[in-house]
Amino acid sequence: MVPVDVIPSRLLCMSLAGAGVLSEPGHFSWLEKLLLLLLIVLSGTLFWKRFGVVVGKILGARRDAGFRLFPIGKRVWDFFWEVLCQAKVIRERPLPGLAHAFVFWSFLAFALVTLNHVAVGFGIGFLDAAGAFGRVYFWIAGLFALACAVSIAGLFVRRFVVRPVWLARPALPGHEVSYESGIIAGLIFVLMATYLAAFFVGEASMAARLLWWSHTLALLVFLPLVPHTKHLHLILSPVTIFLSRGGFSEIPALDGDEDFGLVTGKDLTQLVALQAFSCVECGRCTEHCPAANTGKSLNPKEIVLGVRSYLNEFGPTAEELLLGKYNAQESAFQCTTCGACEFQCPVGIEHLPIIVGLRRGAVNTGAWEDSHGTKLFLAMERNSNALGLSAMEREKFVQKAELPIFDGTQEYCLWLGCMGGYDPKGREIIRSFVEVMQYLGTSYGVMRKEKCTGDPARRLGNDLVFQELAESNLEAMQQQKVKKIISICPHCVRTIQEDWKAFGAPPEVEHHSEFLARHQARLPQQKTDEKIAYHDPCYLGRYRDVYDEPRAVISAAGTLVEAERNRERSFCCGAGGGLAFLGEETGQRVSHVRAQELVATGATTIGAACPFCNTMFRDALAATGEGAPQLLDIAQIAARSLPSAVTVARIQ
Amino acid sequence: MSELTSGVLVFLEIKNREISRISWEAMAAAHTLAEGHGLSVDVALVSSPGNPIFETIHGKAPRTVYAIDHPLLHEYTADGFAAAYAQLIEQVNPSYVVFPHTYQVRDFAPCLATRFKQVLISDVTGIETHAGAETAPPTFIRQLLQGKLNAHYRHRGTGPCFLSIQAGAFRADAAEAGATTLATFEPRLDAAKIRTKPGEPFRASAQTVDLGSASILVSVGRGIKEEANLPIVQELATALGAELAASRPICDSGWLPMERQVGSSGQTVAPKVYLAIGISGAIQHLVGMKGSQCIVAINKDENAPIFEVADYGIVGDLFDVVPALTAAVLKAKG
Amino acid sequence: MKIIVAIKQVPERDARIRIDAEGTWIDLQDVEFTLNESDAYALEEALQLKEEHGGEVVVLSAGPERVGKTIREALAKGADRAIHVESDDLAAYDALGVARLLAAAVKDEQADLILTGLQSDDLGLGQTGVILAELLGLPHASLILKIEAAEGGVKVLRELEDGWFQHVELPTPAVLTIQSGNSKLRYATLMGIKKAKTKEVRRVTPLELAAEPEASVVVLERVLLPNKQRTTQILGGSPAEAAAALVEKLRFEVRAL
Repeated sequence: MVPVDVIPSRLLCMSLAGAGVLSEPGHFSWLEKLLLLLLIVLSGTLFWKRFGVVVGKILGARRDAGFRLFPIGKRVWDFFWEVLCQAKVIRERPLPGLAHAFVFWSFLAFALVTLNHVAVGFGIGFLDAAGAFGRVYFWIAGLFALACAVSIAGLFVRRFVVRPVWLARPALPGHEVSYESGIIAGLIFVLMATYLAAFFVGEASMAARLLWWSHTLALLVFLPLVPHTKHLHLILSPVTIFLSRGGFSEIPALDGDEDFGLVTGKDLTQLVALQAFSCVECGRCTEHCPAANTGKSLNPKEIVLGVRSYLNEFGPTAEELLLGKYNAQESAFQCTTCGACEFQCPVGIEHLPIIVGLRRGAVNTGAWEDSHGTKLFLAMERNSNALGLSAMEREKFVQKAELPIFDGTQEYCLWLGCMGGYDPKGREIIRSFVEVMQYLGTSYGVMRKEKCTGDPARRLGNDLVFQELAESNLEAMQQQKVKKIISICPHCVRTIQEDWKAFGAPPEVEHHSEFLARHQARLPQQKTDEKIAYHDPCYLGRYRDVYDEPRAVISAAGTLVEAERNRERSFCCGAGGGLAFLGEETGQRVSHVRAQELVATGATTIGAACPFCNTMFRDALAATGEGAPQLLDIAQIAARSLPSAVTVARIQ
Repeated sequence: MSELTSGVLVFLEIKNREISRISWEAMAAAHTLAEGHGLSVDVALVSSPGNPIFETIHGKAPRTVYAIDHPLLHEYTADGFAAAYAQLIEQVNPSYVVFPHTYQVRDFAPCLATRFKQVLISDVTGIETHAGAETAPPTFIRQLLQGKLNAHYRHRGTGPCFLSIQAGAFRADAAEAGATTLATFEPRLDAAKIRTKPGEPFRASAQTVDLGSASILVSVGRGIKEEANLPIVQELATALGAELAASRPICDSGWLPMERQVGSSGQTVAPKVYLAIGISGAIQHLVGMKGSQCIVAINKDENAPIFEVADYGIVGDLFDVVPALTAAVLKAKG
Repeated sequence: MKIIVAIKQVPERDARIRIDAEGTWIDLQDVEFTLNESDAYALEEALQLKEEHGGEVVVLSAGPERVGKTIREALAKGADRAIHVESDDLAAYDALGVARLLAAAVKDEQADLILTGLQSDDLGLGQTGVILAELLGLPHASLILKIEAAEGGVKVLRELEDGWFQHVELPTPAVLTIQSGNSKLRYATLMGIKKAKTKEVRRVTPLELAAEPEASVVVLERVLLPNKQRTTQILGGSPAEAAAALVEKLRFEVRAL
C-alpha cells in the first residue's frame, strides 16, 4: 500500500494538468432511472430490514442509569483519535491496521464521490469531473481508491491465505474463516476498481456506462450486507466509541433494588447492546486474553458475540438467563480481569463491565456455586480478608515490625492489604518500603484495623461483600482523617481510587512505585549491571497507566530488560479477578506462561510491582527449578541501595 | 438406699468392650471432688452384672459399683439411657453426678440434667475444692471461646450437680485396694417410650483420600527434593497412623495426586496435628492448614515462615529428623 | 416440612479478647459478631431440606438488638421468617433458662424439625438443643451430619467417635443438633439481603413469653485469660533428641498419640 504523502509530487502535477478525467456515462434513459430507483429502494429496504431490528434491540434495552454525555471533550478527542485517526487500530496491529485505515479513509473520501455518483444516475450530478474542484477531488479520491484496493487485497490475502487463528469463531464449527468478509472485500475491490477504471475510458462511452452500473450495483449490494454482517461496525463503532463509559474497566453502579448485574436480557443496557452489535470479530481481545491463550474456555470475543446472539434470539426484554445458551458460566469465571481485551478493542467494546456484569448476575443471585469461591466469600464475610486469616495475625506483624499506627498526624497512611499484612513475602515488601520511607524521613502510619478493599469480591461480582467492606473502610478512614494512602498493591490502589467511589469519597491514593520514582533522586545511587526484567502488573499498567515509574526505579538499580510482551501489552500473571483465591486452572497456568517469558529475557532478577504477581511468580519460578532468576519487588530493589539499618537509625 | 450418705456418682462408659480411658479419668476427677468434700464415690455402668468387665475396675476403689441392666439398654438410645440413669440417680441421690465428656454423654446428659431442673457443667478441665466445703462449693473450670478464655463455674442451690470431664484433663488414678460392693440396678423401662431407632455403627469406607477427616496429617513440601525421597515421610505417616498431604509444588510435579494438596487451591484442613515437613509456609499453604490444632514444623531454614505458625518446631535437615521421628514414634507406640 | 433453626450470634473467632470490668465476660466493645459456625451448618441443612421437600424455615435467636443483623443474614441465605427473643440480659440465664425461653417461643409453631448447631463457639456448652428437646417433650439426636426424610420421620447420620458413624431413625417432630463441616455453606447474596428486608421478624421479650427467669443453677463466676499463649517451641538437640522430645509433646501435651 502506498501512503498518500509519498506519491511523487510530479505525478500529482501531471494529473492536475489533465492527464486523466473521471468519465461519466452521460445521459440516462427514464428506464435506467426507474431501474436505479427500484434498486435503491430494494437495497434500502433490505438494509433497514436488518438495521431497523438492530436499532430496535439497542433502543429497547434498559437505559444506562449512570450514563452522562458530559463532559464531552474526552468523547470528541476519542472520536477524533480512535475513529478518524484509527490510532488504536494502527498501533496494535500496524500493518493490517494501516490497511484498515486506508479502507476507512477511502470510505470517507468517497462520501462525496458516491453521492455524486448516484446523483449522476438521475441526471443531477453536482460535481463537474472536468472542473477544477472535481478534477482535484476525483484525483485525490482516486489515490485513496488505489490505496484502498491494495489494502483490501492485502487484507483478503491475510484472512484467506495467512489465516490468523484469532479471526476464527471457535464457538461455531465451520466458521474457521468468515466468507462474508471475502464477499465484502470483493465488493470493495470492485467499487475501487470500477472507480479507477473510469479514468481510463472515454467520456459517455459504453465502457463508462458499464463501469457506472457495475459501481452502482456493487454499492447497492454492499449496503444491505452491512447490517447483516460484522460490517455493521462501519455504522455502529463510531457511535460506540463516542458513547463509551469513560473509565477503563468501569463497572457501573447497580440501578435500584432489582438490579443484580447481568442476569437476564432485561439487564442488558443500551450500551452493552450497542457494543455487542459493534463487534467486528477481529479477535484482538482473544489474541491477548491470558485465559484464551492458556487453553481455557473463556474467549472474550465469544462473550461479546454471545450477548449479540442472545439479543438476536431472545431480545433485550427476555427472561432467559444470559449465562445459558450463548455464554457459559465457567468461562465468565475464568477471567483474570487483566483488561487486555478492553484495552485492545478497536471498536470501543468494554469487555470488563460485561464479564464482571455476568459474574455479578451469577453471584448476586447465588447461581454461582464454587467451593473455592464460596470459601473466599465466607472468609471475606467473616474475617474481612480474602485469606480467611485472623486479624490478630496482622496485628502481630504490625507490632513485630514496629509499624507506627496512623493517628492523623502522619503524611501517609500505609495500606498493608492482605498480602502486606499476612503474606510472609508481602511483609518483606512492606519492610523494604518502610526502610525507604524512613530513610527519606517520610512520616507514615498503618491503620489499627484494616479490612480487605473488597477487590476480589468486586471482580467476582459479589456486590454485597464489596459494599460492606468498602463502606466500613471508608468510615474508618474518615474517622482517622486519612488524607493520603500509599500501597504496595495495585489492586488495592485501583479499588480504593475507583471502585469505592460508589460509596463515598476515597482519600487520595498512590502506588509505591510512583512514590519511589518521585523520590528517586534522593535515594543513594548504586547502579549495577544486573539485568532486571520488569513485569507490568495489569492493575498498574492498563488500569492506572503507570509504566515508567517502576522502570525508573529498576533502571536506577540495574539494567532494565523488557519481556517480549510489555507495557500495555503485558501478559497477566493469572492472579487478578479474584482468581488467586479460586481453585486449579484448566489448561496451562497463566503464571507459568508469563514466568517463562520473563525467564527468557535472560535477566537474573525479575522486578515485580504487585504482591499478587509476586506470589504467582514465586510458585511458577519454583517450578522452573534451579537457576531461576530471583524475584524482587521494586521496593526491595530500591531498598538495596540504602545504607545498613544501623546507619539509617543514626541518621535519624 | 437412703441410708447411704450423699456422694459422687460416676457413670462409666464402655468402648470396644472395655471401660474407656476417659472413664477412668472421670473417676479420678470424682475422687478429687469427693476427697475435697468428704464424700464417697459410687460408679455405675450399663452392663449385666456377670460381665467380667467389672473385674477390670481399678483406681481408687469406689464404694458401690452399680450394674445397670436392662435389655432395652443393649444398644444406646438417649431415651433409654436418660430414663435408666434418672432412676438410679433418684435412688442413690448423689450430690454430684460425673460423666466422661464423650459424644454419647453429650447426647443424653443435658436432657437428664433437665429432668432434675439442673444444668450439666460440660467439658470440665479442672476442679478447685475449697476449705469448708459446705459453705464454699467447688469451682469448676472450663474453657470458652475455643480455649482462649478460662471460666470458673459454680453450682448453686440444691439438687445434684452434673459434670462432664474433658478427656485428658485428669490423670487416671493408680489402682488401690479397697472394699467395693457390686449391686445390680434394674431400671423400669418401657419400649414404647424409646422413640429413636439406632442403626448399627459403621466406619466410613475409605475409598477416596479424605484429608479433611484425618486427625493427623504429615505434609511434605519442596524440602523433600526428589520423588524418590517420599518413602521416608510415608513411613512416618504410617507410624503415626496419619494421612500424607503435600504442598502445591509436590502435587504439581505429579509426585503425589492433586487431592492430597493442602492450600488455597487445594484442600483446607484442620487436623489435630499437622506436621509440615520441608514446607516453607507460603501464604497459599498457610491458609489451607492454619486451623490445625497443633502444628509441627520441620525445616532446615530457621527463618522459614512456617515456624511463625508452628506450635513445635525442629530446625534441622528433614533427612535426619524424619527417620529419627519415625523411630521415636514406633518406640513410643511399643 | 416446617423447620425451626435456633441460631446464636457469637463474637468473631479472631475477636480481640479482653476481660470486662466485672471480670465475668469479655469486653464487647470493638468486638464484631457473627453467626455461630455449627448453627450456620444447621441453617444450611434446613435450607437444603426445604429446597428438596418444600416447606418453611423459621430462624429463632435470642439476644440483644445486635442479634438482628445475624437474623437478617440468615433470612438473606433463604430462611422465610424469624423469631427474635429480645433480651439485653441473657447472661442472667443459664443454659436451661435460655432453652426455656426458646421453648416458649416455638411451642405454638408446630414445627416438624427443630435444628440447631452442636455447640456455640463462645460458651461451648453444647446443650441448648438437647435441653430444648426435653422441655418440648420431643425426641432428639445430636452430632448430626445428614438428614433424610423417612417414613413418619427422619433418618439421620450421626457421628460417633474415632471415625465411626451410625444411622438413627426418629419420628417427627424432633430436635437435631448439627455437627459442622458436612455440607457446603452458601454465601450471602445481594438478592437474598434485598429479599430479607421484606421478611417477617417477630420480636418477643422474655416477659411476653411468661418465662420469668428461675434462679440459675449454674453461674459463671469469673473468666481469666489462660497463662499459656500460643508460641513456637523450638525443640533442639540432635535429631534423635528433638524427635524424642516431640513425641513426648505429642503424647502428653497434645494427646494425639
